[in-house]
Amino acid sequence: MTELQQELFEKQLLSISKGFDYPRTPDIAGSVMRRLRPSPLTPLPLGEGKRRPRFISRRLAWSLTIILILFSSLMLIPPARAAIIEFIQIGVVRIFRAEPTPPNQEIPSVMSPVTATPGPTSQPLIPILESLAGEMTLEEAQKAVDYPILLPSYPPDLGRPDRVFVQDVGGNMVVLVWIDPQQPERVLMSLHFIPNGSWAIDKMKPKLIQETTVNGQRAIWTVGPYPIRFSNGDIDFIRLIDGHVLIWADGNVTYRLETNLPLEEALKIAESLQPIQR
Amino acid sequence: MDESTLIRHAANGDAAAWEPLVLAHQEAVFRLSYLLLGDPDDAEDIAQETFLRAWKHLKRFDATRPLRPWLLSIASNLASNRRRSAGRYLSALMRAFRNEPGFSSNIEETSVRHLEANDLWKAVRNLSVSDQQIIYLRYFLDLSVTEAAEVLQVAEGTIKSRLSRALERLRGIIQQDFPVLAEKREGSDS
Repeated sequence: MTELQQELFEKQLLSISKGFDYPRTPDIAGSVMRRLRPSPLTPLPLGEGKRRPRFISRRLAWSLTIILILFSSLMLIPPARAAIIEFIQIGVVRIFRAEPTPPNQEIPSVMSPVTATPGPTSQPLIPILESLAGEMTLEEAQKAVDYPILLPSYPPDLGRPDRVFVQDVGGNMVVLVWIDPQQPERVLMSLHFIPNGSWAIDKMKPKLIQETTVNGQRAIWTVGPYPIRFSNGDIDFIRLIDGHVLIWADGNVTYRLETNLPLEEALKIAESLQPIQR
Repeated sequence: MDESTLIRHAANGDAAAWEPLVLAHQEAVFRLSYLLLGDPDDAEDIAQETFLRAWKHLKRFDATRPLRPWLLSIASNLASNRRRSAGRYLSALMRAFRNEPGFSSNIEETSVRHLEANDLWKAVRNLSVSDQQIIYLRYFLDLSVTEAAEVLQVAEGTIKSRLSRALERLRGIIQQDFPVLAEKREGSDS
């Protein structure tokens, strides 16, 4: 593009963009000032509530709506009514169980190697990974957190994770992702390290909850699909999980292993975690 | 009171001095956030967060400098993080629950002028985030090269070269995917 062409193009852009129809600018000053000058003793006038800071109210309102819908539908089922208030807490993860589930129910008995082609429930998470913030090398991630990042030594041919993310969720959460070598568009498994003080993670009504142990520590095995809600009071988000998750805590870190593998394999992987070999 | 006096008062904890500054700049901050995110709710969140963060760090700000580039810089960073953050998926999910269409249908396209501007926005959204930022600042918000350089915290020369490359890429996208805009462009070239 010559200078003249660029000049004309710029003039055209300026002219066209002036016609852009922005949404009406909301009352940001009002919301900001209310957040800077909270006055809990002074009730808001009628109608003011809907203009509370959207950062909290809208996110929370929708999350609560979804939870209420789930809750209400469960309350229609008599056995669920008594069990709905039960939850299990492992580290920062709180799992609500909707109904008692007998142990060993629906646990796949067939063991399969971790490098095998995953089952039909494996999720196409690659587009999500591509847009996640905080990707770095394993070494950079280790420098960014004050707890040791552990890697599975089982199965022996698993190798290092293909993708490593560090996300600020009130503490630095590390997410290690292994891509299926046979289906590069699919995630084979992921391992989350969630330090204490991070957002609470609630699971609601997984299809199956089973208590187990990892290295003698209490652990929970859940089978999806189910919604999972991450929250820290200000921000909530919900993800639909269609895989199995093994959750355990050790010291100040909660571990989540997401995989399509059966429990026996997940436990072997969890118990094989070792510090990064240099 | 002029802007620098208000900034000094606000930096000393006077919230009443912050309010007129928010009022003066909220539209630009909201608009940039909207252009970058394409969702008015997200844009409102980011705009609120921008002013709260700026308030928190106001003591570090040089009150003799114009406030708007700094605010736009904060908004731009927050919006970029939001685009890539987990919270973004909540918005998508919430839209699905509300059965709302995406950003494009929120726009009242009442005239050819609006249609053209909306097409241009769609074309710009095909560019990288850094290209988008510079085009929104320079043309949609009509900032000077100097102001855009302040927002993006780079030298003016860098802005010019980045702008030139972004325009080249935008022209390619328009020619390929937005023939009506391209025809208009060719018409004005000749």
